[in-house]
Amino acid sequence: MDVGLLGQFVANGMMLGMMYALVAVGFTLFFGVLDVIKFSHGDVLMVGTFAGFSTYLGLSAMGIDNAFVQLIGVLVVAVCSMAFLGAVIARYLVLPLKSAPPLNILLITLMLGTVLREAVRLFYPDGSNPKPFPYLLPTDTWPFGSFTLRADSVILLLGGLLVIVGVHVLINKTKMGLAMRAVAQDEETAKCMGINFTMIVLLTFALGSGVAAFAGVMNGLYYNEINFSMGLLLGVIGFSAAIIGGLGNIYGAILGGFLFAALQTVGAVALPFSSAYKDVFAFSVVIALMVWRPTGLIAEKSSERV
Amino acid sequence: MTDKSKDMLIGLAAIVLGSVFLITFIAIEDQVEILVLIALTAIAVVVSARMGISKRISEAFSSNEPLMNGAVVVALLMVTLWFREDHFPLLMIATVMLYLTACLGLNIQFGYTGVVNFAGAAFFGVGCYTAAVLNQHTAIPHLMVVVLGGVAAALIGSILILPVLRTRGHYAAVVTIAFGILFKTFLEVNDTLGGPQGLKVPGMEIMGWNFNSNIEIGDEIELSFYLNYVAIGLILSVLAFALTRRVERSWIGLSLDAVRLDETAAACFGINIKHWKITAFTLGNFLVGMAGAVFAMMLGFIAPTNFAFGDSLILVSIVLLGGMGSPWGTVVAAGLVILLPEKLQAIQEYRFLLYAVVVILILLFRPQGLLPRGLREYVPGWRG
Amino acid sequence: MMSVLRKSAGSAIALAMALSLGAGIAEAKETVKVAFIGPLTGGVSANGIGGRNSADLAVQLRNADPKAKYEYEMVTLDDECKPNVGVQVATKAAADKNIIGGVTHYCSAVAIGAVDIYHKFNLPVIVWAAVLPDITYGNKHKEVHRVNGTMINQNDVAADFMEGLGYKNWVIIHDTTDYGKGHNKYFSEALKKKGGKILATFGVTSEQQDFTAELTKAKALNPDVIYFGGLTPIGVRIRSQMEKLGFAAEFQGTSGIMSDAFIAGLGPLAEGTVAFREGAPIDKLPGGKFFVEKYNEQGYGESPEAYGPFAFAAMNLLIDSIEDVGPDRKKVRKVLNKTKNRDSIVGTISFDDHGQNTVAAITKYVVQDGKWVVWEDSEYVSGKRKLPGMM
Repeated sequence: MDVGLLGQFVANGMMLGMMYALVAVGFTLFFGVLDVIKFSHGDVLMVGTFAGFSTYLGLSAMGIDNAFVQLIGVLVVAVCSMAFLGAVIARYLVLPLKSAPPLNILLITLMLGTVLREAVRLFYPDGSNPKPFPYLLPTDTWPFGSFTLRADSVILLLGGLLVIVGVHVLINKTKMGLAMRAVAQDEETAKCMGINFTMIVLLTFALGSGVAAFAGVMNGLYYNEINFSMGLLLGVIGFSAAIIGGLGNIYGAILGGFLFAALQTVGAVALPFSSAYKDVFAFSVVIALMVWRPTGLIAEKSSERV
Repeated sequence: MTDKSKDMLIGLAAIVLGSVFLITFIAIEDQVEILVLIALTAIAVVVSARMGISKRISEAFSSNEPLMNGAVVVALLMVTLWFREDHFPLLMIATVMLYLTACLGLNIQFGYTGVVNFAGAAFFGVGCYTAAVLNQHTAIPHLMVVVLGGVAAALIGSILILPVLRTRGHYAAVVTIAFGILFKTFLEVNDTLGGPQGLKVPGMEIMGWNFNSNIEIGDEIELSFYLNYVAIGLILSVLAFALTRRVERSWIGLSLDAVRLDETAAACFGINIKHWKITAFTLGNFLVGMAGAVFAMMLGFIAPTNFAFGDSLILVSIVLLGGMGSPWGTVVAAGLVILLPEKLQAIQEYRFLLYAVVVILILLFRPQGLLPRGLREYVPGWRG
Repeated sequence: MMSVLRKSAGSAIALAMALSLGAGIAEAKETVKVAFIGPLTGGVSANGIGGRNSADLAVQLRNADPKAKYEYEMVTLDDECKPNVGVQVATKAAADKNIIGGVTHYCSAVAIGAVDIYHKFNLPVIVWAAVLPDITYGNKHKEVHRVNGTMINQNDVAADFMEGLGYKNWVIIHDTTDYGKGHNKYFSEALKKKGGKILATFGVTSEQQDFTAELTKAKALNPDVIYFGGLTPIGVRIRSQMEKLGFAAEFQGTSGIMSDAFIAGLGPLAEGTVAFREGAPIDKLPGGKFFVEKYNEQGYGESPEAYGPFAFAAMNLLIDSIEDVGPDRKKVRKVLNKTKNRDSIVGTISFDDHGQNTVAAITKYVVQDGKWVVWEDSEYVSGKRKLPGMM
């Protein structure tokens, strides 16, 4: 296969991987801190994207046409509003159910995801139709033979990378990150050490949701289209990616995200079937991986009280 | 009047009231009247709970089981016959029956054994597609096709068994979710099974009796052909219900409960965890597959969008809403979830939203469900 | 409890009053229900809502006519352009004994699934926009009729026209529903007869988001034209992703992308897209001006879109039949079967033995400056603007 073509596919795969990794990081953060899977993550992402879109509409209506300003505005509103939403969800829906069987939390967050999705579909003006997301990034392309490098892909990749590095720095080099890791390791001891458990949980959820909103805006900018059901599949894929990488481990989540994207790309390109089989292929591999490594590639080290 | 006959009378009275409510609910069209009826019923239920009447009714039910069960079946038959000429109410009733069968299967899987299954709609779909393909291309008698639908679902379920056995908790959940999505995507991209266009399913025919033609008695009376499907649905759900009860009360049920409650302790006592999980998963899928096969034949047309993740969630929520491990709870929940959105036209658009909100509220405030599973009865008639 | 009692008493009194008032109005007309089914939500909702408004216009105009024998009530159902939802709502409409006839379906994928239901329940229906030939020709159901044309003519004219412009190589992308597959089949046949070459064919699912795999493979083959057989949402995605890959072929679509939503979704990228539709443009229709006038008078918020006039004509035809023979499904069906040379705003309607109307004219459209413009009226035909790859 011609190198340029290969390059094109690789570039595309990297973009997808970045987005999945960002979503997976959120899942893993929540699991690490509270041992819960917050399944509404994908739909929070979608709400964040719509919030950003509304900001764009608002800014345009106010006459602010500079793409850069609009981009900043969209990002800031999306990330902050979702951070807030994530904290609210944690406070009212997840914390009260801490001691319930995990199935209940899974279900309640799944239902919450449905509520968010349906609310946008029903209450956002013309919500059930896909909406064109504006072109806020420079659209220059540089063709190298059959490989076209897009400026917006490069910017998005760099942005995603920065966010991941930022999260890594936050978790490992700051006091708040230390507190988060402490709570993830052992809740009771952390409380004994004077860490405000509720505050840290809220902050973790806010962080994860903000990162997801960023991923959502990325998705919107890349495909130039958003619709109310974009969160569902992204959420499931992010969840699978987090699982593959091993829950509770941020690097595992990132690895899982890129791995899933690689599987999808390989499925689309290299297999003799039509590219629509790529999801079937990717999910089959996920299931097979679960058989081989039931606790993910980078297994969580945990002991179980009997 | 002896205590026993008082018990029986109370139980029978409750059943009669319930059927009258059901008939009125299904029959009236006007939105305002429906809301009034629902409000009245809700108030009646709350008041009777406060006054201890519901407790008496449930005691009546459990001390006279065979009679009460028979009475419920007769009541359902009466309700069905009331609507003998109307297509749509019968369609709804039949749908409730089939969903009930499927949810009873899911109940065995995670109500009793704790094996979470988010791919219920996928296995339902396996049953549907089996019926579609077999009915169109082979001459296998349709009753056999129903059973084969169940077998197919059980077989395909066995692909998932290895991952399900090896994983626990969230990881097991992701395996079933991934399978559900995989199934739907596979159906959509694969043309041999109709692709996104879906498949037509020839209606059921048993020994020359065509289920899809109206039953005509004389010149005047033309009974809806859906009666046939309600009959099959009723038979299936009664069988599924009986099976569930028998399993629950046997040593099989005991082992399943032990596996759910504490795997490590159960293993220490010599219970073969793998064996019971496989049994429960397969049995549950068998029921779901059979329900799917009849459903396909009733609708006459199936498409991959019938079997999305959201539909699996509905099945799981019915079990949760009714109370995990409680067959009667599943009956009530199935009826509520399917009939309510159909009748309240005004909320048709909003039904998924309202429905999800209700489940959230139940999970927050009454996680044990509407009719929680009672204590296990070790000796018949013993009340602890 | 008291408030509930009061409420139900209140509604009972209100009901009684209404009934007596109604009886007071001498000779109130009997109400007849007719159904309208179309995609009111989802990616093609603009077309469904346009059709619904048009059919509603027909009902309103008839109800305002004092000579009408009955009062008509339109029951609107949403098929979401999904086959299984369509079958469900079709069953709902058909099972309701009070609904005498229906004007149904924009999406072919839905219609082909629902025709059996109408036959099963003996509900006469007139299709207003679905173009798949099998809907009328694939069965012998006497209940199914159609006022708009089929995709065979559309694709014949399309192949002829594009080949005439000098294009030689095509890549076909179609969705995998019967609609997309039908377009693929008929266009390929028509193109082969004209000597055009098809370099590759790709089938895509109707919910697919990412087409980079297919488009990258297609770009490597260097075609002149991308032919797209499918509906607006995917059309928008494919066209915008073509742009991102720097893929400069001409984009040719079918009646499925002829909607304002296509242009709204693409902005300036839509410029130069070519599409074909049966029926003359609305202002050249015999009843076109009348329709547009009345439509605007009613003040609907949305445009009737490409198939609105057909929905209007279909609903009028149905209502005419009911006026003729009364609200009886079997009688209405017989009358519809015999329709020959009936006048309507889209020309004369005659149903052949399969219930299909012949619509002779196929109009070619091109997107110019953010609007669908008839090809002959555009600046492309005069050479002021050029389509990509045109000599």
